[in-house]
Amino acid sequence: MIQIKNLHKSFGALEVIKGVDLDVRAGEVVCIIGPSGSGKSTVLRCINRLEVPTSGQIIVDGHDIMAKETDINMIRTEAGMVFQQFNLFPHMTVLANVTLGPLKVRSMPKADADRLGRDLLQKVGLADKAASYPDQLSGGQKQRVAIARALALQPKVILFDEPTSALDPELVGEVLEVMKRLAQEGMTMVVVTHEMGFAREVADRVLFIDQGRIQEQGPPVEFFTNPKNERLKEFLGMVIQHV
Amino acid sequence: MAFQFEPAVVIETIPMLMRGLKLTFQITLGGLFFGFLLGSAAGLMKLSRHFLVRMLAGAYIESIRGTPMLVQAMFLYYGVPMAVGIRISPITAGIIIIAVNSGAYTAEIVRGAVQSINRGQMEAGRSIGLTHSQTMLYIIWPQALKRMIPPLGNQFIISLKDTSLLMVIGVGELMRTGQEITAVNFRAFEVYMAVALVYLVMTLSISNAMKFYEKRLSSSKG
Repeated sequence: MIQIKNLHKSFGALEVIKGVDLDVRAGEVVCIIGPSGSGKSTVLRCINRLEVPTSGQIIVDGHDIMAKETDINMIRTEAGMVFQQFNLFPHMTVLANVTLGPLKVRSMPKADADRLGRDLLQKVGLADKAASYPDQLSGGQKQRVAIARALALQPKVILFDEPTSALDPELVGEVLEVMKRLAQEGMTMVVVTHEMGFAREVADRVLFIDQGRIQEQGPPVEFFTNPKNERLKEFLGMVIQHV
Repeated sequence: MAFQFEPAVVIETIPMLMRGLKLTFQITLGGLFFGFLLGSAAGLMKLSRHFLVRMLAGAYIESIRGTPMLVQAMFLYYGVPMAVGIRISPITAGIIIIAVNSGAYTAEIVRGAVQSINRGQMEAGRSIGLTHSQTMLYIIWPQALKRMIPPLGNQFIISLKDTSLLMVIGVGELMRTGQEITAVNFRAFEVYMAVALVYLVMTLSISNAMKFYEKRLSSSKG
């Protein structure tokens, strides 16, 4: 579904990604963990070209995202994204947030888009909030709307960029619950997260990125119980202490 | 002969000013309408990726803001026709001056408002497959527009007062009408007081409408 080959990304003189290779199979749930500033979000944002890679190759669903003939807007409908700060459109109702993509990108008739939007809101448990505005929702509700918005384009993969990091602790669960259900339905997901519990329970594979490289990866049980990389051991030690 | 203030003259003058007031309003509204279009274009051009486009907008904004409107008016009405051989009516010239002038200031209002919208909004729009222009149109612009309204109200007041300068090119607006009345009755004190009062009533109405709008905005959701 996603193939990343030798990805490099620099911001000015600062090299953030120093050669990352990653293959994500269809239906796989990959969680990426790592300290802040390690480049994990940047890798994610390169996949739908919100950041333009400095060098390397990224293939999403058979399309090279850097190729001239590739329509990046089409790729983005195949690779939905959920942001840490939700980024809902505050001037639109919840339903309009969800249906904007289908209406404008897919040219779906309004009645169909509304039906799809309501179904998706139902799915994330917010059917009663269709007419509300984002300001009237809690953080957890906002993020569930954002997930519905990403789902509205029926993407083949969803990229989650620290989806629960901006939430109050008591609201994290409802968002993870929705994500868990998506995973069970077979959605391909790449999740940058600090939620070790979620990674352990839901991921097929966990990656540890530090200093711009993948330092270790593996199935969650092996990854968490028997980490080999020294930095990962240290990182897990620090994280677990706080849980 | 000692000066004697005659309040009655002030009262009598006000209805006589209405003809000029109507023109002042027409020129202000016409000028602001085209000025908004011009300013929106220039403001968005200032945010362009292309250096040349940014420079073009910058040249317009700086040259207008850096010269007195009085000079611009004389130049357009008396100077330009000599060069191109087309005469325009004072009213048309007045609307153009106000439009070009307010446009330069509006451009900065537009640029500031668009820039003030969180970057995440553009990213979210792009992430659902919208093009840059679609994101601008459906997501950034409506939010920016809301933030533009208070400073645009301010520009409305400024442009309204600026129309008084158009008397120099013979536009029969409010100020000019006042001047014509004093030429007949020599009551400059009372007449210009009446003129000032009319301007004041208008500008106070606009700024109060703005305050009302901002209050409503801050208490509303979305």
